[in-house]
Amino acid sequence: MFWLALLFVSGVRGHGQAPTASPRVMVQERGLPPIEWGIIADLSRAPDTPETRRRLSIHRESAILDRVGASGTRYVPGRVIVKFRNGVSNVSRVTALSAISRTASMFERPSYANFDVVRIELNEDAEAVARALGQRPDVEYAQAAYRVRTQLVPNDKFYSMQWNLPLIDLERAWDIQPGAGSAITVAVVDTGVAYTSATARFHAFPFRDDRGVLYPSLGDLTLSFVAATELGPPSRFVAPHDFIWDDNLPLDLDGHGTHVSGTIGQLTNNGTNGAGDTRNGGGTAGVAFNVKLMPVKVISSDWDDIFGSPNEGTDDIVARGIRYAVDNGAKVLNMSIGRTGEPAPVMEDAIKYAVGKGAFVVIAAGNDFEAGNRTEVIAEIASRVQGAVSVASIDQSRKHAFYSSTGSWVELAAPGGSFRGFPASGGILQQTLDLDLVETFNLPPSRYTAPRFDVLAYFYFIGTSQATPHVAGLGAMLMQQGVTDPAAIEAALEKFATPCSESLNTCNETVGPNRNNSYGFGLVEARNTLRGLGLAK
Amino acid sequence: MKRIVGVVLALALAPPLAAQTRARGGGGQAPRISLRPFVLATGERLAAKNTFEAAFGQSVEPFWGAGLQLAVRRLFVEVSASRFKKTGQRAFRANGTNFGVGIPLTATITPFEVTGGYRFIRSTSQRLVPYLGAGVGSYGYKEVSDFSESNENVDTRHAGYFGVAGAELRVHRWVGVGADVQFTHITGILGQGGVSKDAGESDLGGIAARVKIMVGR
Repeated sequence: MFWLALLFVSGVRGHGQAPTASPRVMVQERGLPPIEWGIIADLSRAPDTPETRRRLSIHRESAILDRVGASGTRYVPGRVIVKFRNGVSNVSRVTALSAISRTASMFERPSYANFDVVRIELNEDAEAVARALGQRPDVEYAQAAYRVRTQLVPNDKFYSMQWNLPLIDLERAWDIQPGAGSAITVAVVDTGVAYTSATARFHAFPFRDDRGVLYPSLGDLTLSFVAATELGPPSRFVAPHDFIWDDNLPLDLDGHGTHVSGTIGQLTNNGTNGAGDTRNGGGTAGVAFNVKLMPVKVISSDWDDIFGSPNEGTDDIVARGIRYAVDNGAKVLNMSIGRTGEPAPVMEDAIKYAVGKGAFVVIAAGNDFEAGNRTEVIAEIASRVQGAVSVASIDQSRKHAFYSSTGSWVELAAPGGSFRGFPASGGILQQTLDLDLVETFNLPPSRYTAPRFDVLAYFYFIGTSQATPHVAGLGAMLMQQGVTDPAAIEAALEKFATPCSESLNTCNETVGPNRNNSYGFGLVEARNTLRGLGLAK
Repeated sequence: MKRIVGVVLALALAPPLAAQTRARGGGGQAPRISLRPFVLATGERLAAKNTFEAAFGQSVEPFWGAGLQLAVRRLFVEVSASRFKKTGQRAFRANGTNFGVGIPLTATITPFEVTGGYRFIRSTSQRLVPYLGAGVGSYGYKEVSDFSESNENVDTRHAGYFGVAGAELRVHRWVGVGADVQFTHITGILGQGGVSKDAGESDLGGIAARVKIMVGR
């Protein structure tokens, strides 16, 4: 038995699949001052644009390719996520694994996880192994490591251009609570955040694009990173962590997490002497502009992949990120991420853990309306957990945004913007990285150069990713108001939402109060939610 | 309101009316007709329990008032005015639980009631006199919150009715103390909006324990 146990422990590092040592080298924790541009009207980051499809398909030449599961969901081969029932001994675990797969072995349990990751051969069907494991009485659940992606749809200053904030009556809400969430920490569970200056060295591996064109290695790159000026000083960021690179430096190599963070808590009312982008009159506003932000990186961007990050944005990584965030004091979790396909019990477990610890979890409802409108797995979990909400998107005219997934899992709607029938200003404006200098992989190989993460600009993005942070910010403000129970926050947001009509395809107060598949309980209403009710009115 | 209390106090301190007919024996017996001012302290368990608990953390609230009673032999008629005013917070209800949102709300209830009743007088020397009564009232309700626009506050008045049962103890020739229980039912104010609608509570009335100090014979 002892030897069997020893085999289990030693098996933790077996099969030559030990994680690659992180090739990222921190050169210094500071960098050059940022370069800031104004607004860049770029419509490329929208659902189902050629650029978006291309970004999704970029893969490092030497990378293990994702496999597509039976339901069409992409997963990372070579591993299965499993949670054994309480009390199951190590010996029984080894026995269970060996009964299912000759090659299966278990890694040491990762941090912030109540589950294990089992390594299997790359050519084994991870879904089949998970199914077999899941049928055992000693296993609570098992699943493949499905890929999770951002729910943004970006494109690309200034408050008068932020139609989205007055639309949810935020100005009058700020009158009620000028503090705007100063006692609350919001975790941005995303692609990282441009929250600090740093210089880091990476190795850029060759990769192939969606047409199979090979892009050469750029060799070793020393890159400067800057903090987004409009997100505030370093003291605003608490407990940053990177689960993609396994360190405490969740730098944003994509721009998504930084943009989302802006909507949650961009410095506001800092136009003349503020700490932010004074050159441009203070830049944009955010919903809960005094909250603390916790960058938790769980989604790997194209550059993370090209640089050979040790981890990818899969269910287990996201689940660990959720647990990390609540264990480190986050009271609101913004998850502008999602995926379709197979269930995600590991994520469900983590979301319930977060809510149980008193955190309000906000999840994007999905951007797949015109791409099959399949069930969004993470958002669907939110619809079954009181204290977690899924958020659909509306455009500037309060109508259902063309890309916003619909289904019984949709609980609330918020402005996510649209470029269809609207100019670029139909999107949600925030400061982020200059995508033209980040997404050099969208250029032909002859013009392909190293990316720059030290240039900031204002971009309009669209997507349920952009709708979600409005609700996260509101949740933080409500929490500051004294409503700390996540289920009560959800109930308040739903109760005071402006009803929307699926048949009229718009949100206004003259339509019925019924929940529907496009808008859930309706469009969030900031002022009424914070103000609550009187006895008679 | 202050004017009403002033009038009642003036009446209380006034000498007995000429119309009051003295009984034989140097004033030991009650007159056949008397006009008796009183002051009133009430503790009311409001029927809209959840509604008041949401805003004030409790549903038993004090009312203070005054009135005037006209007693004719065993019958009496009285008019009274009282007031409840308290500042709590705006709130909402979710899954049967109340949640305050920290925004100050001040509610004021001003009942104006007319009661008719019967006193169970069996002997002229009886010190404890039970009584029963019923009546109608006009109930003012005002609700003012911070951050409200004018049309978001409430200022209304509706009718209600009530029944009352209690007893009066004569503690002095000129002073009586009454204690009673009053059941009030008031509709038309609560239940159409706010927390009361969510709580399914439409009655602004309740069960009140009242103590009256009456001056006069």
